[in-house]
Amino acid sequence: MKKLTFLFFIMSIILLSAPRSSLAEDDLQQMIDALHDGDTLELEDKTYEGNIIIKKSIELIGKKGTVIRGDESGNVISIEAPHVKIRNMTVSGSSMNRNSSEEYAGIKIYSNHNVIDSVTIKHSFHGIYLSQAHHNRIENSHITGLGKGEIANQGNGLHIYYANDNILQNNVIKGSRDGMFFDYANRNEILYNSISETRYGLHYMYSDDNVFEGNTFTMNTGGAAIMHSNGIKLEQNEFIFNYGHKSFGLLLLSSRDTLIQNNTFFLNQRGLYIDQATGSLVKNNRIIKNQVGIELWASSNEQIFTLNEINENTIPVASLGGEGRNSWSENGIGNNWGRSFPMIDLDQDGIGDEEVRYQSSLHQLIEDQELVYLFLQSPAIAVYEKLNQFLHKEKTMFTDPYPLVTKHERKQASLILIGVLAISSGLYIYRRYKKRLL
Amino acid sequence: MHYIWKEWKENIKGKGLWLAFALIILVSISLLFRSSALSFDQGFYIHLINLFDAFVYFIPILCLFLGAFSLFQEKEQKTLIMLLTRGERFTGFLCKKSVAIQSVLLGPTALWFFLYLIPLKFYFQIDGAAYLAFLFTITSLILVFTQLGVFVGSISRSRMQIVGFVIAIWFYFFFLHDFLLLSWLSNVTYDNVKLFSSFYFLNPLQAARIYLESAFGVYSFEHMSKLLQSFMWLKPSLFLIGNVVLGILFSFGAGVVFQRKEGSQ
Repeated sequence: MKKLTFLFFIMSIILLSAPRSSLAEDDLQQMIDALHDGDTLELEDKTYEGNIIIKKSIELIGKKGTVIRGDESGNVISIEAPHVKIRNMTVSGSSMNRNSSEEYAGIKIYSNHNVIDSVTIKHSFHGIYLSQAHHNRIENSHITGLGKGEIANQGNGLHIYYANDNILQNNVIKGSRDGMFFDYANRNEILYNSISETRYGLHYMYSDDNVFEGNTFTMNTGGAAIMHSNGIKLEQNEFIFNYGHKSFGLLLLSSRDTLIQNNTFFLNQRGLYIDQATGSLVKNNRIIKNQVGIELWASSNEQIFTLNEINENTIPVASLGGEGRNSWSENGIGNNWGRSFPMIDLDQDGIGDEEVRYQSSLHQLIEDQELVYLFLQSPAIAVYEKLNQFLHKEKTMFTDPYPLVTKHERKQASLILIGVLAISSGLYIYRRYKKRLL
Repeated sequence: MHYIWKEWKENIKGKGLWLAFALIILVSISLLFRSSALSFDQGFYIHLINLFDAFVYFIPILCLFLGAFSLFQEKEQKTLIMLLTRGERFTGFLCKKSVAIQSVLLGPTALWFFLYLIPLKFYFQIDGAAYLAFLFTITSLILVFTQLGVFVGSISRSRMQIVGFVIAIWFYFFFLHDFLLLSWLSNVTYDNVKLFSSFYFLNPLQAARIYLESAFGVYSFEHMSKLLQSFMWLKPSLFLIGNVVLGILFSFGAGVVFQRKEGSQ
């Protein structure tokens, strides 16, 4: 009996002294639970085991090597209290389960007025998830997804769901399903974020009155897709190199009153793709070197295009599905169509003396056959267009009654005018000189 | 090795090879200056695609001319007849000559693009795998079009014939091939898309472009429609390798079968 008691005593000591995986988790959770509202917890340069739930208004500050690692069973950090601040740490290891009733994230926020600053998120289904959370600030954070081969198996970089009045700024998102996903989220400000190698850089549904400024969308299947939303402002964003088959810089679908101003659309398969949208103002953008500058479906009406530079695109504008009611100028000011449409401006008012009309025969092929996008870089496109021009198979894609003349073109026209005047004067002097001799 | 050395010595005396290298170097450098404003991260890919787009305009026709004139020179200088009377078979000669021309073209090109990495490193974040894919693409174009040039040199009797054949081949691949496919495009269905795809990828320019863009990850073939999935029934790299192998074998075989040993000015 003594021996048995001794053995039991030894086994108990061994079991109690053996490190348990949940010990560290308890530690961090216990440390957090021991804090009071307004307290700050400075974490060490080491890995803490999650998952954790924050129910008090506290601040967590990490160091360069601070990691909170989840057990891959749920959210790594759940924030349920308002006014929580999390700074300088790496969060990884949320559940990747797609069949559960809840979608998990590295950080999931259920409350208002929180700040997430300089946090790196890896190996998580969603990066940061705002669920009915308002007035939060997510900034300077890096969210890395699983990469392009795993798009279907993961969530979004920032998932904003029924969340209003948040500020998302200076974040870098790479390789997630969608960079930022908005669903029923209004009046948010999305500023200076960089999103690359995702499916849609921005996926946007049923969300109104949001502002997007200074964001960069590169190498995504689609740059930004704005759907079923009203009153969106897009200013100074860059949509670059969204280049895949049928990719786009910006898609407007069933949206109203969108302001698209001072943005750059460069090297996309389609710069702007507008379908069933109404009342957009597309102003002062640079739409350059895309395969199709603007793809405009007839279901879209009352768009205004003014002051844009639409230059060096294989097809500047493809109007598809019939004639829509859209305007290529506003208050007598059209767009700059670049060197593809040479024009003269004899009265020097900066507006071309004749309207610019672009006709193309490719519209039917684009409507009927998706494989046509494989040919848009081929020099044969020019031959195809020319031949169809002779066969009168073309259709007008746009008419800009007040095209802008660039300074370079104006200078060129002036030089031509000076040249013509010089030659005429020379001829006149020569003839008079000849007459005198006779 | 003897053939390669002879080819090198003959080519450095002429203007064609220097013109080709000068163009490649000039275009690479001028595009680098133009691309210097691109972003550090993604600018590398944009620059290489711009470079490819520029090379497509002159590498095929230069390689066609260089291959054709190099072989034709053997006829003009009667060295071909001399070699054949010594017992060398035409197939053997064409094989050695092809290897020699390809080596003379590819060697310095590879050297240039190795050196080109140095200025690239200052401007962009280098992706080694993407750069190798770019080199493979350029190498493929040089291989196919030089071999086609050798074929033209083998079947031509005069320099005028060479000019005619080369322009015809260049026009076909640059314009006509895609134009024919564009005319066929409205009748492409799920049933015949594989056939269409086979013809599409017979054009080395298209096979090279699709390979390059997919290797860079900028042209994504994820979430494809059923039609596009059938269109891409092989990996882009296999389409390009198939194109190069077929192109070289066809050019070589046709060069042997339709050879004309005599040439005139």
